[in-house]
Amino acid sequence: MDVTRTVGLDRNDAIAAAKSIYSLVLLLLLWEFVAQYDMVHSYFLPPLSDVLATFYELTADGTMLEHAYLTFRRAMAGLLLACLLGIVVGVLAARNRIVGWFWDPIIEVGYPVPVIALVPVFMFWFGTGDLPKIMLVAVGCFWPVAINARNATREVDENLVWSARMMGTSDRRLLRRVVVPAAAPGIISGVQIALPIALIVTFVFEMVAGGGGLGHLEIQGVRSFESAQVYASLIAIMIVGFTLDRGLRYLRGRLLAWT
Amino acid sequence: MCGNRFGKKRRPEENAERMSYADFRLETVVETIPNPLRRIVRFAFEWIPIAIVAGLWELASGTAVSSEILPPPSAVFAVSWELLVSGRILPHLQVSLYRIGVGLGLSIVVGVALGVGMARVKPIENFFEVFLALIYPVPKAALVPLAILWLGVGTETAILIVFLACLLPIVLNSYNAAQNVDRNLLWSARMMGMPAWKLPIKVVVPATIPSILTGIRQAIPIAFIALVSAELIASNRGVGFEILRHGQIGNYTSMFAVLVVISGTAFVAVRGYEWLERRVVTWT
Repeated sequence: MDVTRTVGLDRNDAIAAAKSIYSLVLLLLLWEFVAQYDMVHSYFLPPLSDVLATFYELTADGTMLEHAYLTFRRAMAGLLLACLLGIVVGVLAARNRIVGWFWDPIIEVGYPVPVIALVPVFMFWFGTGDLPKIMLVAVGCFWPVAINARNATREVDENLVWSARMMGTSDRRLLRRVVVPAAAPGIISGVQIALPIALIVTFVFEMVAGGGGLGHLEIQGVRSFESAQVYASLIAIMIVGFTLDRGLRYLRGRLLAWT
Repeated sequence: MCGNRFGKKRRPEENAERMSYADFRLETVVETIPNPLRRIVRFAFEWIPIAIVAGLWELASGTAVSSEILPPPSAVFAVSWELLVSGRILPHLQVSLYRIGVGLGLSIVVGVALGVGMARVKPIENFFEVFLALIYPVPKAALVPLAILWLGVGTETAILIVFLACLLPIVLNSYNAAQNVDRNLLWSARMMGMPAWKLPIKVVVPATIPSILTGIRQAIPIAFIALVSAELIASNRGVGFEILRHGQIGNYTSMFAVLVVISGTAFVAVRGYEWLERRVVTWT
């Protein structure tokens, strides 16, 4: 067996990888160079090495992890709540005429509301702690989840439903065992659409209202003129966003392994 | 709970008519109504739930919840109307629409060029792909503080955020479409003597227009979210700022009223665009 292959470093792969990231390396080098020689004021662009040092410092003393955990907790709790409600409402709206009649126009009106504009409203209703953030994330994520669940359920092949009914499946079991699994790909797509909304709402809320979290850490850097902290928080935000996105894709693969 | 749908035997042809949930039983009633009234009746029937929700809200406000906390919809809509008629909101609306227009316009120009370029020219793809992959998982609203560092508080920051937020859907849609352009089109154009450098503008872009328009449709709601985020965090004008200001001085009815104005604008923008798309793109 070829040694290079065991570590996944085929020569062609390496060339392809180098080609696809050379521009990033160039940009980072340029960044460091320009900032080191003070061609741009360090308030706008601190040297990359400073940013990484700040990132390391904040991570080592636990600040970054604490804030990242706060953000993560709020975004996930809200998203989970939205998924529970959204999937129930969406599936029932597609299968039940009365639920559909009631929810369709509400979804129609609610979906285009830029939920982010509700930040001051929720701040006023629930204060600045965890609760308003989780609630607003839930409200914002509810619509895409519900709409996608409804549309996916409507498109479930009726033959599946008829076959199950013919074999004597009861209504409840039909929903749980036939309709929801058949609509699962569409439902999960809705959750994937909702994930960036959850993060946007959390970050903006933290920036406007405070109360900890990565968004708060970042805006604090702007207010105290510590631009390295702004860049360092952005790195953390990038990592959180990337991890959640990949996590959801992995989960999708696991849940839909049978398709 | 689901009995009324599952409990009944359904013939296949009945299934075909099921497209719209409530029509079924309603249709038999509607048949008896003279034609011009039918649409109105159907419309009213569909919107009853909204009326129920608004009615409950109206009742709850002032009894179950203080009308300070949850102003009744009648008051909110009255104030919205007044804001529009008196023109007090118009300067802010104008600023916000300007920001959206410029940001979205820039992202369309840059996004289409980038998407088509990346799909057709390998070095361009190699250069930009890694940046797009890096930006993709970042919620664009998280870039507002960075934009404040560079551009300060105001219009430029909002434009930059709207631009970045709208860029990805437009790039992705035009990239996918440009990659899947029908080869026969390209070959025919070449065969009829079109020089290679004209192909992108004369063949590829026209062939990708439907997808580009889809990308723009996806970008419009995103643009509004990005705009309001930027205005909440870093602005002293615009509708997002107005909401925050009314909230801070405790003028909650006005706060809700501005919210209604924003939502209405976003709704009209999406619907107006869809209407325009149907009107303009008639060849697809």
